[in-house]
Amino acid sequence: MKRSEFLRQLGLLSGGVAFGVQGMPVRAFAQNPLQLDLEGTDGNIMVLVQLAGGNDGLNTVIPYHNDTYYAKRPNLAIPKTSVLPVTDQQGFHPALKTLRELYDNGKVSVVQNVGYQNPNRSHFRSTDIWQSGSSATEYWTEGWVGRYLAKAFPEFPMALPRHPMAVQIGAVESMLTLSGMGSMGVVFDNPESFYQLVKGTPAETDPIENTIAGEELRFLQQIALQSIQYSDLIKQKADTGQNAITYPNTNLGRQLAIVAELIAGGMETPVYLTTLGGFDTHANQVVNGNITNGTHATLLKTIADAVAAFQKDLDKQGLADKVTVMTFSEFGRRVNQNGTLGTDHGTAAPLFVVGNTVRGGFVGSVPNLTNLDSNGDLKFTNDFRQVYASVLRDHMGVDVATTRSILGQEFETLPIYRRSSATLPSADGVVLEQNTPNPFHDTTEIVYSLSKAQYARLALYDIQGRELLVLREGSHDKGTYVVRVDGYLLVPGYYLYGIQTDAGRKVLRLIRT
Amino acid sequence: MSAWNFENARHLLTRCLFGYTRGDLDKALSYSTATDFVSKELLADKSLPDPPGTWVAEAPVANNGTVDGTRYRDLTFWWLQRMLTEQTHMREKMVLFWHNHFTSDREKVNFPQHMYQQNMLFRKYAFGNFKQFTKDVTIDPAMLIYLDGRQNNRNAPNENFARELMELFTVGIGNYTEDDIKQAALALTGWRVDGLKAVFNQNGFANTNKTFLGKTGNFTYTDIIDILFTKDILANFICQKLYKEFVYYKPNGAFVSEMAAVFRQADYELKPVLQFLLTSDEFYRTDYRGAKIKSPVELLIGTLKALSITNPDWGYVTEASRTLQQQLFNPPTVQGWIGQRDWISSSTLPLRGSFTDSVINGRRLNGQRLPFSIDALTYARSYPSSEKAELFVRDVTDYLLAYPIAPKKREFLLDTLLDGTISENWSTNTPMADVRIQKFLRTVMRQPEFQLC
Repeated sequence: MKRSEFLRQLGLLSGGVAFGVQGMPVRAFAQNPLQLDLEGTDGNIMVLVQLAGGNDGLNTVIPYHNDTYYAKRPNLAIPKTSVLPVTDQQGFHPALKTLRELYDNGKVSVVQNVGYQNPNRSHFRSTDIWQSGSSATEYWTEGWVGRYLAKAFPEFPMALPRHPMAVQIGAVESMLTLSGMGSMGVVFDNPESFYQLVKGTPAETDPIENTIAGEELRFLQQIALQSIQYSDLIKQKADTGQNAITYPNTNLGRQLAIVAELIAGGMETPVYLTTLGGFDTHANQVVNGNITNGTHATLLKTIADAVAAFQKDLDKQGLADKVTVMTFSEFGRRVNQNGTLGTDHGTAAPLFVVGNTVRGGFVGSVPNLTNLDSNGDLKFTNDFRQVYASVLRDHMGVDVATTRSILGQEFETLPIYRRSSATLPSADGVVLEQNTPNPFHDTTEIVYSLSKAQYARLALYDIQGRELLVLREGSHDKGTYVVRVDGYLLVPGYYLYGIQTDAGRKVLRLIRT
Repeated sequence: MSAWNFENARHLLTRCLFGYTRGDLDKALSYSTATDFVSKELLADKSLPDPPGTWVAEAPVANNGTVDGTRYRDLTFWWLQRMLTEQTHMREKMVLFWHNHFTSDREKVNFPQHMYQQNMLFRKYAFGNFKQFTKDVTIDPAMLIYLDGRQNNRNAPNENFARELMELFTVGIGNYTEDDIKQAALALTGWRVDGLKAVFNQNGFANTNKTFLGKTGNFTYTDIIDILFTKDILANFICQKLYKEFVYYKPNGAFVSEMAAVFRQADYELKPVLQFLLTSDEFYRTDYRGAKIKSPVELLIGTLKALSITNPDWGYVTEASRTLQQQLFNPPTVQGWIGQRDWISSSTLPLRGSFTDSVINGRRLNGQRLPFSIDALTYARSYPSSEKAELFVRDVTDYLLAYPIAPKKREFLLDTLLDGTISENWSTNTPMADVRIQKFLRTVMRQPEFQLC
């Protein structure tokens, strides 16, 4: 029997727990013996920033040495001289100045070309795909965060955990935090008004019939119980917690300030969701003749300044090590500009992962603006679920098997975090990772780790096993190493790469397109 | 349907109107069949209302200070007033349905004149011909602004409207290709907004052959829509949406197909398909009673009707609808409001309760007095059973709650009303009766059952 079925047969999601008089707010859960401490989450926290509408990746991280970019976006391309250069090929939009500072301090990983196979260009379908973590051909109704929380809090909904499992700043609960166990998130705009609001909500626990309408009533009952359970705690944590700096007076700034306050107040909630809308820039993405200004620039500045303030705040309060921020958007936008100073729906785009624990730098290769799909859109190189897998494993400390079951299949992690599971040494002390991106055209990275100091040799072979290049050879300290391979060295085709140590040899395959 | 009785009438009204008064229920039951009531009341022909002001015909003026904001406010109040005074006619429900289908929003459509025009178009076609409706909406100024149609140009088309026309307005995702979108976008070029009118500019039009859904020709917007209407899936797509609005959010595919057949046979006239739906056995299946979560506007207007409030402060109601996540003229995305469980979060659920409390108390959550309130005694005495506590509780809950409440809960509500005294001693003349009635009503409306309809 599935657990949800079992619960349904109990007749009540909250069966077995003591309740007060009907109609009176009760807070009986705190003593529940079934309650699990949040240690399952390692005390780590992820803060998601959803950029709703489809963020234009190419005008966020700009391939400013790519003539195709300028040719395809004559009225929209950010002029070379305005770009904040980051690598010799790519730079940030000038509105991302504060994010650039974080980047320079090694606190930003930029994951390139994130998307999925058979991209869908509908806002709604693609948002569902990103939020559920499904492939383009699957229709899931649970969020990947919801599935993660269902694993981390197995006692829910028979008992509510001491602290909210997820907090969403807003009003309409996102699919992200839904699971088969029900709604896992507490949604509010402001801790104080939430507290005031919930006073007087009756806690209902009477059994409800198993009917179509009964299902809806039970849903309402569960939401009411969660509000009652958490509204004091949230207020108390927000009252205790402080912001150590002043946040920009923007919608996202306000949301992140609340999140920081709650974290600083000691709330152990592992997931926070914030949202910024307005990215559907079909028209007037930039100001005519003043390309570095306009709707998109304002949005980017809002993200950068709010995230930078958040990071600074947590740093000052000594809380930054456990928190990571990840941005995401349902798709990027078309490479070609349209006729209305804007861009239509596209596919892959970069996203940012920010925090003290990230490796920093670019993950994956520069987008290829000439090898497009039949619709004139970018081909993705990193699957968005690889990013989720990386956050879950390398930041939240979720093990491989659990991550696989949350995401429905195994996804290779990406070298986003310093303490990367992808680079954790295996039993024999040597880990060789799949190169990313793979297949690749311009450049790819190979990551390997050694658990103790030793001699090692990393080399590239053709498919017959003939050595073509030695990538690195010599005595190594214990640690993780990243080696870049440039595409121009190789004709398109299959290759092997391998690491040779005293313990033996490991070989993997790579593809140059 | 077993019989045209109180439960069935209540179910029909609660789904087709924004709440209902006891008078509305009596009126429905004065007809001998549902068929009669639906055709002669809910779907009756009705003249269009007077506009909210002469400004609706004024040419838009840019940078008009606070004028447009004030007019948007007036327009919202005007629509809310239409809903409150709709009586037993379901046109306003359909206007909101179409607003949620052919979405536009005031953040992008700056001039309230355009949104008023669009709102009137929805009223004109509330149960009219959907095919002609789709054509008219395509060149509706507010829509041309909202989905960038006015900027769609033959040299570099903007796909925004073309995509949503198919994905959200007619056939649904999966029934066209990305190329169909591009080709349709070309056919939709050439339209501009001039003042309050849509004008066609031949020079902006892509005067070439387009291949759309397997057909080739120098198509214009009407051709595109005609081709879309040759697809059987279109009727299913629209009927599914109607089903989800009026019956249950998880559609019954077999029944939706029956609806679609009626819709196609009627050449996409909406009235026959609504008549079919609202008199079908499927609609009156008892398990659907109380299975819909009220939208904020259904809750707000319905509460006013339930409490016989005819002079509300629309500013307060507007503010509440915004906090409850349904600001009229401002759907969250082009997909509109999702509805059902999306309305409910740990914030909006308690907010709903605080709204009903405030209307009964005549005070906002922060204690500030509202300019309208109910007279508890007069309200209670409007029930013939007001002096018999048990009957009174039964009548009020039967009237207000679509979900049948458990006997134990009914007892709890009775105890709330009696507040320590016994049934035999109850009378609306006892001291503090008004306070008890208020508390009783607040408690009824705080029950999660009250959120269902």
